[in-house]
Amino acid sequence: MPGGASMTDLMTMAKPDEALRRKISSRLARWPDFCLQCGRCTSGCTAFRLLELKPHEIVGSARMGFVEELVSSRAIWDCALCLKCAERCPQEVSPAELILVLRNEAVSRGLEVPEGLRNILMSLMEVGLAFGPRKAMDRSGRTYGRDELGLPEVRTGLSEGALMALMELLGGA
Amino acid sequence: MGEVRIGVYICHCGTNIAGVVDVEEVRRYVEGLPGVVLAKTYPYMCSDPGQNLIKEDIEGGLVDRVVVAACSPRLHEPTFRRVLKEAGLNPYLLEMANIREQCSWVHMGEPRKATEKAKDIVRMAVAKARLLSPLQPMEVPARREVLVIGGGIAGITAALDLANAGFSVYLVERAPSIGGHMAQLDKTFPTMDCSQCILTPRMVDVARHPNVQLFTNSEVVGVEGFAGNFKVRVLRKPYYVNLDRCTGCGLCVDFCPIEVPSEFDVGMAPRKAIYIPFPQAIPHVAVIDPEHCLYFMKEKCMVCEEVCQELAAGAVDFSQQPEEVELDVGAIIVATGYDLYDPMQDEEYGYGRYEDVITALQMERLLSASGPTRGEVVRPSDKEKPGKVAYIQCVGSRSLRPGHASYCSRVCCMYAIKQALQLKEKYPDIDVCIFYIDLRTFGRGYEEFYWRAQEHGVRFIRGKVAEVWRSRDGRLVVRAEDTLTGRVLEEEFDMVVLSAGLRPAEGTKELATLLKVPLGPDGFFLEAHPKLRPVDTVVEGIFVCGTATGPKDIVDTVAQAKAAASSAMSLLSQGRIVIEPLVATVNEGRCRGCGRCEEVCEFGAVSVEPAEDGRLVAKVNEALCTGCGACSVRCPTGAIGVRNFRPEQIRAQVAVASR
Repeated sequence: MPGGASMTDLMTMAKPDEALRRKISSRLARWPDFCLQCGRCTSGCTAFRLLELKPHEIVGSARMGFVEELVSSRAIWDCALCLKCAERCPQEVSPAELILVLRNEAVSRGLEVPEGLRNILMSLMEVGLAFGPRKAMDRSGRTYGRDELGLPEVRTGLSEGALMALMELLGGA
Repeated sequence: MGEVRIGVYICHCGTNIAGVVDVEEVRRYVEGLPGVVLAKTYPYMCSDPGQNLIKEDIEGGLVDRVVVAACSPRLHEPTFRRVLKEAGLNPYLLEMANIREQCSWVHMGEPRKATEKAKDIVRMAVAKARLLSPLQPMEVPARREVLVIGGGIAGITAALDLANAGFSVYLVERAPSIGGHMAQLDKTFPTMDCSQCILTPRMVDVARHPNVQLFTNSEVVGVEGFAGNFKVRVLRKPYYVNLDRCTGCGLCVDFCPIEVPSEFDVGMAPRKAIYIPFPQAIPHVAVIDPEHCLYFMKEKCMVCEEVCQELAAGAVDFSQQPEEVELDVGAIIVATGYDLYDPMQDEEYGYGRYEDVITALQMERLLSASGPTRGEVVRPSDKEKPGKVAYIQCVGSRSLRPGHASYCSRVCCMYAIKQALQLKEKYPDIDVCIFYIDLRTFGRGYEEFYWRAQEHGVRFIRGKVAEVWRSRDGRLVVRAEDTLTGRVLEEEFDMVVLSAGLRPAEGTKELATLLKVPLGPDGFFLEAHPKLRPVDTVVEGIFVCGTATGPKDIVDTVAQAKAAASSAMSLLSQGRIVIEPLVATVNEGRCRGCGRCEEVCEFGAVSVEPAEDGRLVAKVNEALCTGCGACSVRCPTGAIGVRNFRPEQIRAQVAVASR
């Protein structure tokens, strides 16, 4: 669906980026052509307060080819990936999936990733887990190690292959 | 009169009446009224057990007059008249007391006062019931011919159904050929049937049908009479071509030196001053347009007559005159269709200023394989194929601005999507963008059709276009807000197509006046009831179908045309029509022949004529009289009155009301 290079957003003077739109669309299982802009994704969004752009607007903008501003937007990082939007969409569009692809694009360009997520990434690369093993806490505030609870050690660390795969996914390899 | 035995039947109507009015109190009250022998209440008097209550009392000889205190007589008077008739009582010995619409519904917050008012209403009904006279319905013979006005798909369909059922049909069409707008369309949504291919066989069928007589190039100029017996005058405008001789060879057209924009091609191509409207026209003959023909303007040329005389059939005949014919018909079907909204007044879209801004009907002619470009879509300005086409929806519709229509024109969403798909199918690389307010794809298979357009890459932007202007390099710039993402956009296109809405056909007002059928505030013909009587009008014997009552697609138009045909059949199939006896009658002894009744009658039902003794007296045509009572009010001597609404009956009601 050609966005039309002659289109201009008069608020930002931005023009649709057809090549980028194609690149993003090729990574999606289902390009959101069928989005009716009904707003169901936005009205049920878990991260709604955090979003400066609403899920249906992200879909609408991407569909028109205004992708660049989304890739550099902070909003795409606020999605909790709860997938309610994908579950509920009457047209089987997944805003969450689109947001994930936009994040991948941002990382591959070396754009800044929010600190919390960066920590997760580091943890992934170091120990192979998004969140490392933590101590458990009871209601009185006392903490217990796994050994105290009789649980086995968690295996940590990534295999060479897994690390390569991760790097490739991040586009940095 | 003192011997009457009135039964009063008070309906609860569930809680509609009994929730406000104390029906038991009303019952106790009316039991004491003069002439009332019994009074009963029941939850739903119109139900079977309720009706039986009345029936049993009549059959048991207890009552010989009935007052039903319930809803409006418009709703159930026919029901209860039937009850009386079935029980062996004259059905006109019934009086309805409306204690619902005129009492409980309008006084919901005041049950006490409502109960008192209900008593008053019933008391008045009882007073009148004492004076009711038994009446007999009248029958008049009904003709089996039907006039169909309008030769588009609606008129053709109605005419064919009637003709196939054995009725004679006169099909009157204003244009020189039948076919209407459907003949101009290329394909039809959502099935993409070729419009011409499904229409033209029906055109041929109707023209060849032994029961159908075509009056093309003709207009209805006079209507008189009543259901079963209308007299219609039809003006046949001259073709200036002998229809029997003309073979439609088109030689005259080739030689004619005058070119004007073609109506059929909506100005996308020229036609000559003598022309055949379109290749499948019926009748397939040439017609001269006297407004542009050199002979009629300057008494020159006559080349068509010359070539036809020397090389063809000798059919051209400048001496033809308009001719009026009178037709007797039993029913009339109005199928006058629509006209397209003219977007000239919407200056911001540049229609009429920029050649490449066209209406969707003009695009239809470009898309048509039999159109002026043989189906090649080209920009009018440079005859190049457009790379990008924009559609602007709701042009002239859904707008309160002067000259615009407040209603939705219903077909524009679908025809725009259809044309967008056609453009994509013809030219896969073309970019089509539809600017809309809402997309209304309500019919069977319509939403799926919309999906198909999305799959083919048609772009949809929700926002009404603010303006269109031409850039320096000749492209059209469209400015609109995408209201879903809040962006104000500007984009260049090669062509802009305006999805213009539907308007009542030219001449609708004049025809409505002739037929005495009211128009709605939107200017379309008004149906008798939007849900239950959608093809009837308030004038008995006159039916209406298709876009004459408002925008409709072909699916709905054909359904209505068939409905109108079947309604006309059920009216006329018995060969006679029953007429309500509730019409004006004249007491000739009292009538002075002053003629005021004749003046005031809107239906032409009263006329002053010499009686047997030579005196002038008023006469009523009972079939024309609607029982409105205007004459009765106007009569200085009380000589004329409507049966069962006679002055003494009304006075009796007034007397007890003002007691």
